[in-house]
Amino acid sequence: MQHSLLVFFAILSVVITAVFIFVYQSSLSASEENQGMKNTLQKRGWFLLILVVVLAMFASITIPKSPYFVYAKDIPSKVIHVAAGQFYFMMSYNAIDPKNPSSDPSIEVPVNQVVEFRVTSLDVNHNFGIYDSNNVLIAQTQAMPGYVNRLRCKFTKPGDYNVFCLEFCGSGHQIMRSSFTVK
Amino acid sequence: MENIRLKKITAIWIIAVLLLFVAAITLGIIMRLNQADVMHLNPAKFYEDMTVHGLTMIGIWFVAGMAALNFIMERYVKTSYSANLIALIFTVIGVVMLWISAFVGQFHAGWTFLYPLPLRPLWDSWAIALFLFSIAVLGVGWLIWTISLMAALLRKYSISQVFAWQHLSNKNPEVETPPFVLISMISLIGVLTSLLAAVVLLILLFAEFYTHGSFTNDPLLMKNLTYYFGHTIANEMLYLGLAVIYELFAEISGRPKWKTTWYVTIAWNLTLFFVLGAFLHHMYMDFVQPESLQLIGQFASYLASLPSAAVTVFSIIVAVYRTKIKWSMPNLLFLIGTCGWIIGGVGALIDATISNNFVLHNTLWVPAHFHTYNAMGNVLFSLGFFCWFSTQFSAKEVVDRMRSLKIALLIIGGIGFLAAFYIAGADSIPRRYSNYPSELAAGKSYALLGAVSAMIYLIAIIMFFVNITKRCLKMLFTH
Repeated sequence: MQHSLLVFFAILSVVITAVFIFVYQSSLSASEENQGMKNTLQKRGWFLLILVVVLAMFASITIPKSPYFVYAKDIPSKVIHVAAGQFYFMMSYNAIDPKNPSSDPSIEVPVNQVVEFRVTSLDVNHNFGIYDSNNVLIAQTQAMPGYVNRLRCKFTKPGDYNVFCLEFCGSGHQIMRSSFTVK
Repeated sequence: MENIRLKKITAIWIIAVLLLFVAAITLGIIMRLNQADVMHLNPAKFYEDMTVHGLTMIGIWFVAGMAALNFIMERYVKTSYSANLIALIFTVIGVVMLWISAFVGQFHAGWTFLYPLPLRPLWDSWAIALFLFSIAVLGVGWLIWTISLMAALLRKYSISQVFAWQHLSNKNPEVETPPFVLISMISLIGVLTSLLAAVVLLILLFAEFYTHGSFTNDPLLMKNLTYYFGHTIANEMLYLGLAVIYELFAEISGRPKWKTTWYVTIAWNLTLFFVLGAFLHHMYMDFVQPESLQLIGQFASYLASLPSAAVTVFSIIVAVYRTKIKWSMPNLLFLIGTCGWIIGGVGALIDATISNNFVLHNTLWVPAHFHTYNAMGNVLFSLGFFCWFSTQFSAKEVVDRMRSLKIALLIIGGIGFLAAFYIAGADSIPRRYSNYPSELAAGKSYALLGAVSAMIYLIAIIMFFVNITKRCLKMLFTH
């Protein structure tokens, strides 16, 4: 998905740059008699209308795909509790007691079933970023002290998944990681 | 006398901004070289650089916009020299305190200093206090300046006039509100609200710090306040640059001055509200935030782009298309900056879409888009003003011999440096990593491309710095 977004962005950037170069060139070759653009108010109106329609389309397509709504009605087949701290992740099948936190040695989640990660932090803000076996970021949520974020995912490919912290949390931020297996 | 004082203080602002810009770019290049494994900094040192780089950049381009706004505003209203001077003194003191807290006190909570990280015992207690006081000093200086400029406008224009409402019903009203005045007021209100959020944030941080934790804050509220402040000030500083373009683009191009119309009035009045809701897109990955606020974040971000595109950008295109223009460095920088600003805006809109943010948030896509509309947008707006300002008082016409070279270096360096961020972001490389784990080693190559390109960009900036500073220094030491 990220690469499609990059291509989409690159195409738009080239089009915008081309418009600016074209407009600049038209100014260089303009003579004193040139009157510039005509009917600008009408053109401005059309431009605005097109933008509104395009953005409304984007909003209507993308909003239902927001992570809050996807799998919201499903009942998760497994719940994984996650407590983040400087600079580690604890993951457990059971609720984690903040006063005496402990984790399970390894975590397995079922393939093609909805699972829920209940993510919190024991100190500062962290982020629970899930990377697939090709090292592509596929899902994330913040880990905030005092709050539990519920992230629902359905893994379609079995394999080893890494977790990296995606919220700057101090000098060990870059080594903060964990993993789990999808079977 | 008054004008000479204003001219001189503006020249000092420009020299200070450019000097700190060169220093902050150097810190940025050091960070990218470290990520590329060319340099080997201790991670804490890397994050100290990162904290100083971010806050310095936000600070200098905000004051650059304010200094330009203040200088031009004097054409319409009497501004306060004292407020300008206080802001300058407080900025210098604040920046020195900030740099000491990071480089001596090893404070490195990032430019967003997201609660509760700054208060954790990871660095000396005095460094936390010095950092918080540095932000307080900067905030107070800027608050005084902002309020003073708003008061100057309101002394001449009534509330309805300053928002140009008379232009909605009357094509040729008795009192005309220049676009510069309207946009200045809209931007200053945004700046004021963001600085007030910073004040509340600081009070809450100080309260917890000095009660040694017997008073504690709510992390979700603190995060909302942080991003209201951070996002809004970063956004409004772009609009300060746009106010300058509305005033100077036509003038420098030898064209009739732009006038306020009904659609300019509507666009900028709406912008005031849309921008204030856009900060919510920083909270998308906090699933405990109410869903209605998350949706407002996406809608406000989308809506904020409409007046910018359909009015400001369209007006610049109309002003240039098939129109004979006297092209010079300032208006070229304004035009290229507008292009960079829109491209950065597209990158921002992609990320401000919740379902995209799910896989782009806190990857290098984020610095990619905000560096686009800063390094290739806002910076060029301010550089355009600096060039215009530094040459307009010369007795003889200034010929910019290396104009094409400077612009070419800016564009080549800028594109390479930004492409490295965008491609890495799309490749899931996280932002704010001092070093990359083996699985994300691709980040090293992108970092090297970014560092080399940023050096090219820096060469262009140094060329601007030398020329502009020389002229500003001459202005300072002559009458």
